[in-house]
Parts: sequence; C-alpha cells; structure tokens
Amino acid sequence: MRRLFNAALGLVIALFLGALIMLAQGYDPLASYAALFEFSLGSPYALATTFKNATPLVLTGLSAAIAFASGPVNLGQPGQLLMGALAATVGGLYLDLPPALLIPTLALLAMAGGALWAGVAAWLRQRFGMSEFIVTLMLNIIADYFTLWAITYPFKDATAYSPMTPAITRNAWLPEFGDWNSAIFWMAAAVALMWFVLQRTRPGYEWRIGGQNSLFARLGGCAVDRNFVTVMLLTGALAGLAGGLLILGGPHRFLRGLGANYAWDGVMIAIVANNSLPGVLVYGLFFAAIQTGALGMELITNVPSEIALVLQGVLVLVIVASREALHQLADRLAARQKAQASDRRSELPVPLPGSSELPGRLAAGETSDDSS
Amino acid sequence: MLVATRPSLLTPPLIELRGIVKVYPPDVLALDDVTVSFADGEIHALVGENGAGKSTLMKVLYGLIHPDRGEILHQGRSVRYRSPGEAIAAGIGMVHQEIVLVNEYTVWENIVLGAEPVDWLGRIDRTRARRQVQAIVDRFHFALDPDAVVADISVAARQKVEILKLLYRNVSVLILDEPTAVLTPQEIPQLFAELRALRDGGRTILFISHRLEEVLDLSDRVTVLRKGRVIATVAAASSTRSELAELMVGRAVLFTSRRTPQPPGDVVFAIDHLHYEDSLGRVRLKDITLHVRTGELVGVAGVEGNGQFELVNAIMGLLKPTAGAVRVAGQDVTAAPILARRRLIAFVPQDRGRMGGSLTASVVENAIMTHHRLNPQLTRGRKLLLDVAAAQRFTDRLAESFNVVMPGRGAPLRALSGGNQQKVILGRELLLDSPFILLDQPTRGLDVGSIEYVHDQILAMRSAGRGLLMISANLEEIFLLADRIVVLHRGEIVADLPVEQATVEGVGRSMLEGKVAAT
Repeated sequence: MRRLFNAALGLVIALFLGALIMLAQGYDPLASYAALFEFSLGSPYALATTFKNATPLVLTGLSAAIAFASGPVNLGQPGQLLMGALAATVGGLYLDLPPALLIPTLALLAMAGGALWAGVAAWLRQRFGMSEFIVTLMLNIIADYFTLWAITYPFKDATAYSPMTPAITRNAWLPEFGDWNSAIFWMAAAVALMWFVLQRTRPGYEWRIGGQNSLFARLGGCAVDRNFVTVMLLTGALAGLAGGLLILGGPHRFLRGLGANYAWDGVMIAIVANNSLPGVLVYGLFFAAIQTGALGMELITNVPSEIALVLQGVLVLVIVASREALHQLADRLAARQKAQASDRRSELPVPLPGSSELPGRLAAGETSDDSS
Repeated sequence: MLVATRPSLLTPPLIELRGIVKVYPPDVLALDDVTVSFADGEIHALVGENGAGKSTLMKVLYGLIHPDRGEILHQGRSVRYRSPGEAIAAGIGMVHQEIVLVNEYTVWENIVLGAEPVDWLGRIDRTRARRQVQAIVDRFHFALDPDAVVADISVAARQKVEILKLLYRNVSVLILDEPTAVLTPQEIPQLFAELRALRDGGRTILFISHRLEEVLDLSDRVTVLRKGRVIATVAAASSTRSELAELMVGRAVLFTSRRTPQPPGDVVFAIDHLHYEDSLGRVRLKDITLHVRTGELVGVAGVEGNGQFELVNAIMGLLKPTAGAVRVAGQDVTAAPILARRRLIAFVPQDRGRMGGSLTASVVENAIMTHHRLNPQLTRGRKLLLDVAAAQRFTDRLAESFNVVMPGRGAPLRALSGGNQQKVILGRELLLDSPFILLDQPTRGLDVGSIEYVHDQILAMRSAGRGLLMISANLEEIFLLADRIVVLHRGEIVADLPVEQATVEGVGRSMLEGKVAAT
C-alpha cells in the first residue's frame, strides 16, 4: 500500500517537474499532457498501441528484473534481443508451417537465440571466471554488428536499398484482434508464468534466496552454480522473445535499428520497479504510454517528442530517489509519534512494573544490534 | 523504578541523564524515559541484554545518537553534544567494540593522530608527541611500548591504544563498550588493573558489559537496563551475579551446568590428519585429527583466527583441504558437494545474516532452507514445485517448538530480534535430524535468556544421541556444555582432554601459548 502511494507520489512529482521544464521552454504543459495521454490512453486504438509498444519493454524488463533479483548481472538484453530477433527472422524466412505451429516455433527460436547469447556469457563465467557484467555488455556490441552484417549480406532483401531482410512468411505474422496485437498475450503470459516460477517453484525460491545471500543459499545446499547458468539462459530467452515478437508483431522483417532503445529501457524499468515483476508490468506500460503519447503530442503541439525522454529521465530519478527518501521520512514520523507516546506515558503517576511482563521479553520489535 | 543507591545529594553527580527517550525509526523504542546519573571518579557498569539500550544510552551521551527527548546534565549544566568531537572536547570519550587504528603506524603515532602537537613551522613535533604519550603510559602504569607498530601488537594492546587516544585528549569520562569481548581470560585482569588505576587517577569509567562476574569484580556501581528502561542501580559490593542476572532478564537464571553424565557411543564424525594451506602457502590447519562420538559434545576453544574459520569451511565444503579426510556417519565427505554433506551435517553458523540466513527474506523462506531439498513434503511435482502451504505449516511448527516470537511468518528475518533469528536458524538445523551437528559460536551476540535457551536445545540434542562439535570463543560456554575440550592454536590442536581434567586457566594458557599442559 505504502509502495503504491510512493510510486504514485513519484509520478506526480515527475509530471510536475516535466511541466516546469516545458513552461521554461515556453510550451503549455497542460495541453501537452492532454495530448500525451490522449494519444496513449485516450482511445481504444491508442490504448492498444501503448500495450503493443509495452511488449518489448516489459519482456526485457522481466529479463533484467529476474537476473538482478537472482544474482547474475545480466546487462546483455540489447544483444540478446537482437539475436532473438535474428533467429526468429531467419526461421520465418525459411520455415513454412501453418500459423498455429509456426508462431510458437519462431517464438522458441527467438528464445533460443537470446538464451544462446546469454549462455556464452554464462559459460565464460563458469569456465574462466569472467564477470558476466562486462561480458554481456561486450556481447551487446558484437550482437549489434553481427546482426547488421547478417542483414547486409547473407539475409539481405535484394530489392531493398538499405540493410534489411525480406519480409517473413505471412503465416508467421502475429494475428491481430481488431486494434489488439496478440503480442500482448505473450507478454501477459510471460509475466504470469515468470511470477509463478519465482514465487511458487523450488528453483525460483533458490534463485531469489541466492540473489539475496548467495553464501547462505550455497551452505543451504542450493545448486548456486547451476542456478546461475539457468537464470542467465532464462533471462536471455526472455530478451530473445522480446526481439522475436518485435519481428512477428511489427515490421515482419529485420530492419536496421530494430532494437532501438527497448532493452536499455527494460533494464531501467527493472531498476525503477525494484525488480518486482508486477512492478515491471506497470512501469513498462507507463513508459510505453509516455513514448507512444509523445509522438501524438508532437503532432498537435509544438513540443518535440524528445520531451518524452526528459520526462522518462526525471521519472526514473524521482521514483528511485523518492523510494528511499519517503521510506525514511515515514519511518522518522512514526518514530516521533512513538517518542511522544512514551512521553505521555512517563507522566503517569504509577511507576512501571519491572518483572511483571515476562512473555513480552523477546518481543519481535526489539532490536538485536544494541551493541553494534 | 527501583533505585538501590542514590548518589549523595550533597555532591551533585558528574553526569546526569534525565528522561532520555530514543526511538529508532520507525518504531523501535530503544530508550524509554531513562534517568541515570554517574558520580565523579567511579567505575559504573551498564548491564542488560541485547537490545536493552546500553550502547544506545552511551552513544546518546557521546553525541553519536540524538535523543528524541530528555536532558543531559554535565557538571550541573544542561548540555547536548551534537557529535563525538564535541563530547571529547567536553571530556567524554568512548572506546567502541571495533578497534580502528592505522596498522602501519606506531602506538604513539596512532595516539596523537588527529591531535598532533606542532612546532612553529606547523610540522609535527615528533619528540614532544612521543614524550607526551610516554608520560601518560607511565602515569597510569600501562604495559605498552609507544614505539611498537600496531600491526605487531595484540588485540588487548590495541584496545589500550584506543583508551590512550582518549586520555591523550584529556578525557575525564571514559565509556568502554564491552572491552573484554575481544580479550583472553589472561588479559582481562591487567585491563581491569589499568582501569582501576585510571579511576584512582580521577577518571570516571562507564563500562558496558554482558559478563556479570567481570562487572561485579570491576565496578563500583551497576545500572541494569531492560527493554530500554532502568531497572535498578545497585552497589556492586552488595550485589551478586544471580541477582543482577535476575534483574536483567526478569527471572531467575541458572549458571550451573545441567549436563548429565552420559556414556558416549560410536564415532559419528571424524577428521583425520586434515591439513590446509592457503593460496599463499601458509599453513592454516595442521594435521588435525578430531573424533566426535554420538551423545558427545566436543568443544573447540581458541582465540579467534587460529584456524576455526578454516576448520568450519573445510567441514562444510567451502574450502578444499590440502590433505586429510572428513567422515560423517561412516561416509567420506572430504570432497563431497555441499548438499551431500547437508544430509549428514546440521550447521549453526556464527554469522546469522551472512551464513545463517537471509535477513531480507521472510521467516518462511529462511525456515525451509535445506529442508526444501531434503524433505519431500515441502515440494511437489518431482520436487519442482514448492508446496507453499506445507512450507507455512513447517514454519509454524518450527516457531512453536522453538518459541520463536515474530510479527508474522511472512515478515523478513531482520524484523526479528537477534535471539529469535537464532532460534529460527537453530530450529531449522536441529529439525534436519542429522547425526552430526556443527555449532560455530552458537550464542554469539545473544542475550542471557536466549543463551540459556540455546544451551538447553544443544544439550537436548546431546541427550538424543547426536554428535556435536561446538566452536566457541567463550570458555565459560565450553566448560558448561562440552564433554571434551580441544584447543586450537595456530591451526593446530594443542590440547585434547575431557572437561573433568581441564581448568579454565590451563585451557586459557594453551589458547595463548600453544602446547602446554592444559590441566
């Protein structure tokens, strides 16, 4: 409840600061915000677009949140997304199956592509003790240029003037239901399934505990090394799926610059959400709304769509900073109240009984570190 | 509130704390209207269980913690020190449990650091500084060489350096936070002699301690705190240990061993010729041979850092010994993975937040660790799914059988007091039903009441025929519980004898000096 309040307050502060920035630039913040939300949430079509745009953000956010919560510092979502997208594209170019078979197959291929790329980092860590933090970052650059090479030479659309693949087979296109692209079902399913894995399965339990205190998990008999590899593969697969769905649900071909900034936004969303999976869903949708609405805002106001980036930045800073600050503030207020309560009680004439309260002696609220 | 002795009304107390209230955010009431006074030139001990507020009260006086309410009178004037610097300037200094010195510097350099005498060019006047330090050392008869490098001196000597730092700054009130916790039995009398010399030299000493016999030995007056309140201030000369313990805990505490004689059974745990060299080739464990029988508790005594850490890690599989074998219940586990060991070994580590549990995880999540692998009732679907309901039932059972007081089983472990955290960990490990139990400082940092409880549980396991190996820095604990005592000194077992043949002095001497008769 308090978390929700903190998040909402952070949002309001961020929007307020964004309004100040727009005012300073000579724009009308109210009209701009109206346009922003009109074009992201205001109509069924806008809402559907926002949800669709949220898919890569939420999936890469899930990937980062699960990795961070479990210990591995997987920052390879951008590369894993691209490798997943490439795997799905190649599959879509050469396989021909009925949609009901082809789409799941390509989704699996995309996951395999992302998992493979994360697996390289996991293997290097297990074999040579190389930090996955730096390795995943480096692999991003390799993936970037590898996919560019792939769409420039072996898989290039001969009729195109810029690096891109031909369109994948029609059977691989994600079905749309009115305005709603079925990519969002994959997104929803992934969030639900991952929540279940983390909260309700034995491996998920081991990952979470290992992420909090890996020595404790190790001494408790958890397979920490194997869990590390599994989490790397799983989070790679999630980022790969984000890339695959981008192809299957969107341009249906691998274009240059396809990955855009999705994966980094996903990492940011995981941080803002404090690695909570429902939080990733909520913030992913919210960031998608801002990004989607910004384009519309640019159409009808003079405000450039880049203001969305400013707004996003302010939001991250405010939410992350206010989370701690509001916690401390609330704690301090509670402490003051308690001190005053003790104040009033000490004015009572009857002295407090000393030994008449045995059962409460080890009350849970007592601090354990008096002597530290 | 019961006040046994009051400072005379004619001579006002040196320091008076009145109605101090401190709440740690959000709602931990650490000090609840504490009023206490300290007379000039006395040694005044503050005793109480963990969380009673002793350290907090002293930190309030020292300016480290700001009270929410209350008044401090120093020499009759109302004061409020906002930082330790202000407190020291006013003549109040505190020595913390952790010693913070520059290892590469000499004793006198450490002492003058931050308050160096300078010549007219602003250079440090080394001769004068050295002379001043020597003068203080001589005046209070400290056994300490001002020119020794701190890295080469013992922990006890380092503690003296901390005290001298304050004396050099002309502090008249010295606050010592559990000064004996880091000392061996032999070193304590000397510290006490030096503290008495300080008192006789006109200093006031406020002394925080857990150890009641030391408190009675050293201090003039004792203030007992419980749950943030002053329970009593008594004259040490007219008080007894059990009286203080009762005031601290709120009920009678037994100090005698309840260990019943019991013939040990077969060897359940055996270390043979265990040898370990670290990556730099230094010998950390030297040819250790150690057997534990069923129904037997073997206590490992030793000054910390003499191989206990390596011994525990070798038993648990965190390090690979260079040579030797570890066998539990007939199985060779020297190179076994940790999970395989955990089928045979219950392990209560010394560090609750690092090895024993995850402070941020819930009580349930802490309680089911290891059981989630070994107890098929906690998982379903080929051990892949966690049975949340079963895990909660298991936690409730643990909490009930080990008297865990908690805000709720979903609360994070850190929301529990230290004693209750340890009960969760102890309960989890003892419920594993392993034939062998390794206890590494099982009562470290616990209060008297919790220690008693943990000891009872340990003895119950001994009666139930488990083999137990307990590492402890606390000799009293070892003599209370162990059937046999082994002494570790520089990675080597230098004494191994039945408790009936051991004396505290002999064991203490082996701990310090290695191979001497421990009887």
